[in-house]
Amino acid sequence: MELSESVQKGLQSLADPSLFDLKSFAVLIDVAFRSLLSAHPGPSLLDQPELKSIDQILLKQCHAAATTYILEGVKQNADKSIISSCLEDVTFNVERIEIFYNSYQKYKEELEGFLASIGRSPPHINDVSWRLEYHMKNGHVHKVNEPCYLLSLNVENGGMGGSSEDINFSCTVEQLQDLVGKMKDAAKSLEKATQM
Amino acid sequence: MLLVLSDEYREHLVFLPKVEPAVVVEFGRIAVEFLKRGINPKIYEGAARKLNFPMETVQHGVEGLMFLLTESSKLMISELDFQDSVLVLGFSKELNQVLLQLYVDNRKEIRSILTQLAPCLPSYHNLEWRLDVQLARRSLRQQVVPMVTMRLLLATDGGNNTSRVLQTDPSTLLHLIATLETALAAMKTNHARRILRNIK
Repeated sequence: MELSESVQKGLQSLADPSLFDLKSFAVLIDVAFRSLLSAHPGPSLLDQPELKSIDQILLKQCHAAATTYILEGVKQNADKSIISSCLEDVTFNVERIEIFYNSYQKYKEELEGFLASIGRSPPHINDVSWRLEYHMKNGHVHKVNEPCYLLSLNVENGGMGGSSEDINFSCTVEQLQDLVGKMKDAAKSLEKATQM
Repeated sequence: MLLVLSDEYREHLVFLPKVEPAVVVEFGRIAVEFLKRGINPKIYEGAARKLNFPMETVQHGVEGLMFLLTESSKLMISELDFQDSVLVLGFSKELNQVLLQLYVDNRKEIRSILTQLAPCLPSYHNLEWRLDVQLARRSLRQQVVPMVTMRLLLATDGGNNTSRVLQTDPSTLLHLIATLETALAAMKTNHARRILRNIK
């Protein structure tokens, strides 16, 4: 894992027992993880009693370094050996590595889900509603007398909190059979792929 | 069901019996042509000159025939009803036969042209699909996420096709299939069958 200079400096400060004793180190690491996952992180998160005695600017730098490192680790799906070797390079002792890794394991899955939801993708279909109608006549042609389906696909744009949209269209019975047939082909090939 | 033809309308067609049946056939053909391709005023001028009639009369005649054909096709009246409706205009038997033949030959096509005027939602045209596995994205590496990407082609008014690229995951795909199968099953219920059979 490659880390920038500011992140390395921040982590080195975290490793320093004269700046952070073990208790405040543990608290800051926990705060770093929780601030990434909370919906409304505010400055009050850093207002822990154990951290009051530490210089505020240093606190901010170390917090930023820790969160950057955490996100990078989750992104790369880093395992214990990679994290250990990386933290050793910034002079973490075994105890501190252990504390960090425990929190990392605890929060990793949730962070992965959070990172997976960021980003763009084609609109995602969530649901479909249908309506069957019997078309009898309209203003231009009488005696039409044909059944007709109205379908509405509920589609969501983007990841979290994306806008949702409805795609409405009509189709005849044969067209709906065609649509369902094609979807079933897709499902069948999915099944075959899982058996490979 | 009989067509209701107004007095003004009858006035427009009053000159038809005075010309030869061949001319009426020609007018009928022009009327159908105009319905398919749109009105061309030059043809009115040509016909008016040939027949020595004022252009307005020719125009009214052709438009009258067009109206007769579209109304009959719209209501899909039977041949008997058509003949009875035309009787009111006081034409000769031969002329009535000519008009009836014109109606019967062209009504299907005229109905399909009229259908294009009716309001319509975008309608389904085609669905293309593709099975993908997402391996990584900018924010997260080392993923294995199966995805089905689809392209839905819809035909809107005016013959334009719009296409939408959409994505779904396998469980939603199965849910969609189940929902749409119940939709298809709705057509086969007794209730639907009764209605389809009886309303014709």
